[in-house]
Amino acid sequence: MVSEMNELKDKLKKYRLSVSEYEQIQKLLGRDPEGVEFALFSALWSEHCSYKSSRVQLKKFAQKSKRVLQSMGENAGVIDLGQGEKVAFKMESHNHPSFIEPYQGAATGVGGILRDIFTMGARPIALANFLCFGDPKAERMQSIVEGVVAGISGYGNCVGVPTITGQTEFHSSYNTNVLVNALAVGLFTKDDPVVTSQASGVGNWVVYVGAKTGRDGVHGASMASESFAADSASKRPTIQIGDPFLEKLLIESCIEVMKENLVVAIQDMGAAGLTSSCFEMAAKGNVGFKIHLDQVPLRDSTIGPEEILLSESQERMLLVCEPGKFEAIQKVFHRWGLDASVLGEITAGKEVELYWKKELISKIDPKLLTDNAPMYDRPFEAWKPKHKSETLSAQPLAVEKAAASVEGTSRRWVYQQYDQRVGGRTVRDCDDSVSVVKLLESGRGLGLVLGCRPYVMRMDARLGGYDAAFYPSLELSAKGFQPLAMTDCLNFGNPEKPEIMTEFVASVEALAHAARVLDAPVISGNVSFYNETLNQNITSTPATGLVGLRDNVDHIPRSEFTTAGDSIFLLRLPGVSFTGDQLGRKTAYAGDLDPDSIAKFMTDLQLLGNHRDVHSTRVVGKFGLGYTLFRMCGETLGATVEKGEWAKTPAPWSDEHMYEVLVCGPANLEVALRANSSGAKVWTLGKVTAGDLIIDGESKNLKGLSDAYVNGWRNHFAQLA
Amino acid sequence: MKPVGITRFLGTNCDRDVWQAVEALGLAPKWLWFEDQFDPSDYSAVVVPGGFSHGDYLRCGALAAKAPVMKSVSEAAAKGAPVLGICNGFQILCEARLLPGVLVRNESRKFIDKWVTLAPAGKTPWLKPSGGPLRLPVAHGEGRFHSDAEALKKLNDQGQIWLKYKDNPNGSLEDIAGVTNEKGNVAGLMPHPERAIHDWMGGEDGRAILGTLLS
Repeated sequence: MVSEMNELKDKLKKYRLSVSEYEQIQKLLGRDPEGVEFALFSALWSEHCSYKSSRVQLKKFAQKSKRVLQSMGENAGVIDLGQGEKVAFKMESHNHPSFIEPYQGAATGVGGILRDIFTMGARPIALANFLCFGDPKAERMQSIVEGVVAGISGYGNCVGVPTITGQTEFHSSYNTNVLVNALAVGLFTKDDPVVTSQASGVGNWVVYVGAKTGRDGVHGASMASESFAADSASKRPTIQIGDPFLEKLLIESCIEVMKENLVVAIQDMGAAGLTSSCFEMAAKGNVGFKIHLDQVPLRDSTIGPEEILLSESQERMLLVCEPGKFEAIQKVFHRWGLDASVLGEITAGKEVELYWKKELISKIDPKLLTDNAPMYDRPFEAWKPKHKSETLSAQPLAVEKAAASVEGTSRRWVYQQYDQRVGGRTVRDCDDSVSVVKLLESGRGLGLVLGCRPYVMRMDARLGGYDAAFYPSLELSAKGFQPLAMTDCLNFGNPEKPEIMTEFVASVEALAHAARVLDAPVISGNVSFYNETLNQNITSTPATGLVGLRDNVDHIPRSEFTTAGDSIFLLRLPGVSFTGDQLGRKTAYAGDLDPDSIAKFMTDLQLLGNHRDVHSTRVVGKFGLGYTLFRMCGETLGATVEKGEWAKTPAPWSDEHMYEVLVCGPANLEVALRANSSGAKVWTLGKVTAGDLIIDGESKNLKGLSDAYVNGWRNHFAQLA
Repeated sequence: MKPVGITRFLGTNCDRDVWQAVEALGLAPKWLWFEDQFDPSDYSAVVVPGGFSHGDYLRCGALAAKAPVMKSVSEAAAKGAPVLGICNGFQILCEARLLPGVLVRNESRKFIDKWVTLAPAGKTPWLKPSGGPLRLPVAHGEGRFHSDAEALKKLNDQGQIWLKYKDNPNGSLEDIAGVTNEKGNVAGLMPHPERAIHDWMGGEDGRAILGTLLS
């Protein structure tokens, strides 16, 4: 009896199931689970697949807008842009694998998010990535940075999808748990079908396409749902290996069979591999599946049924088709050098039957696994501001110091490794604060920006949640784009700790509120919990990606000065003033946000972003006005600016505000600015000049500043090639 | 006018971009699938676009160079038809021995994506006679042109170097960005002219090169 108990304990540990979850499984099945059932529950009830700690909270994102065609629950969200164009987009994390094995972890993160997009029938047209690294001096960090960037570059460049924007952050809270979040956007043009993963049609065939199955990634989903102990290297065998060339072939062939209407339903084999695609497709379609696991094409003939079910080998898809169309499907895949194999069929029953060499090894209602996963309402507390004060203390920060710091230095070393232009649509690339692709059919511009400033999150998770939506929306609006919808990737620590759950709830509620006032719903996303190593949790980081639309791509305001003699205007909303914790400063903020007035201001700003006399715009961000002005200077253009009535905080050139925007153009632009910036005050800071950057009479040598900005990276990452 | 043939190998990824550029210039593009051969007299010119043909396995361009379509491309080249290889297309033409030299890993050992300034070197039918420098994007991991001293001398003597970097991004020998064959009808370059066709792309200098397909 004791040995039996111990055996069960070991088994539960191996499959990462809790005792209460085991009891729930017994209740659902009316018996003890057997054989591969442990593996099935382990995978689909993992945090990664089931969202068991977040589902209660994620309901707060429930929001419709007239543009939303597909939302949470599908592989990616889809919005209607009108004029026959639609876009699918989603962001996903690959944090744990990227820390263990940076190159492959990051590469397969890109591959996975691309499959979520083209599995719906959309052609991927843009990639973006949100990266958070630790202190450059932390153990392994230089090689992690190098590996992650090389992985993204190696995969994205080869599949031929441009990486058009990114955000790269550094903080010691990520020293032992980096964040690698990848976002992909796909485009549907006229007559392209939106294909879902809902299986249907009794007698239809279940078809496996793409790479053969190997042992890589077995138990990957449950690995990603655990905190790290000290021995993360021992988890290397759970890492998947990517092949971007195969993915490219899969993109072309899958899009072709979908365009030709040969496919009933399709889903990629992502986390938990064949298990999740089989059970989710069957559950969504309310149908039964009969699957012969021995028909799965294998890389290694010694692999057994359990590993086949859990393998996370990359570049594989599962599709459902009418038997009469299989030959046509096979022809397309063969043309692209790929194989298609029939695994089984859809049955009239409601159960998924798994066979191994003609023997039934499991028969189970898929809904027990997908819809009956446990749901935990993890304890949390009402939000209490931490760093709020009446006034700010003076903590000025020199522009030179900011430009040379790892937080402020140029990221060119990173994005020069990404192909930013393949596809022939790129209008604005990683160099710009807003990336833009042209929708070639309609001629309109699609803007893409990432959001979430971890230093704002460290200051206040509620403000940080609002900011993750408002800041990128302002960036879009300042370029004349209307934000339409967003995706998120919620990276948090251990949800079983109330202080983490409290931050999660506070930021999710703020993000959901911001999405409502902006009418830019969260239509897809991912939650990554357990970003914790040896009890140290990361900065709570709800990364976002927003898309916006503009009628054309002509005369989009630049992000740098364009014309000597232009006036520099500051548009500032009343709200929060703060000092961020970067470069050793003590965090503090004063004031409150007014979401409704921010949303109203944004509508006006979009008009200004389309005004022909607005030459350049930039949202004032990290390190405040001084650093932002420096970023607007070019090789030949500087600025002369002075303190005025607007300077109300103790360090006016480095304190930050939620929110303020710099707008440049001819002096008479002021009339239009005053008429079109509801709720904001308009001030004149100074003029664009052909000289240096002169702040309050003190000249900053632009050449020296630029050198500091460009060489800063090299100084922090001496070990990188 | 006869169509411009655009080759497609497994893994080619600048094929649509070249198609769009060729169309924007008022020409009719047509696909040339890697497994098929074609009659060179049906085409006014052939473009071999960039990408990662056959996954860059073995060596960039090495597998593509052996594909059936390349037999016809060689025939077209022998008959004096214009053949242009861009980026991976340049690598393929070198591997197919239609162009001299090889392209090896960038000096930085990293992929590089940036806009570069290029100077036309010598007279060539591949450039509209504007004379001035061009701004075009590069995007490659293996774009460093290399050849032995003897062959290099020949390239210089015979005016086969048609494009040089002003700010060499990859360590290329003598800043070489593009070369032609002896006759001049086959040309390759690492930068992407098809990515600089419209003002909204960041520049239109690619027209100076692709525009020569019109004549």
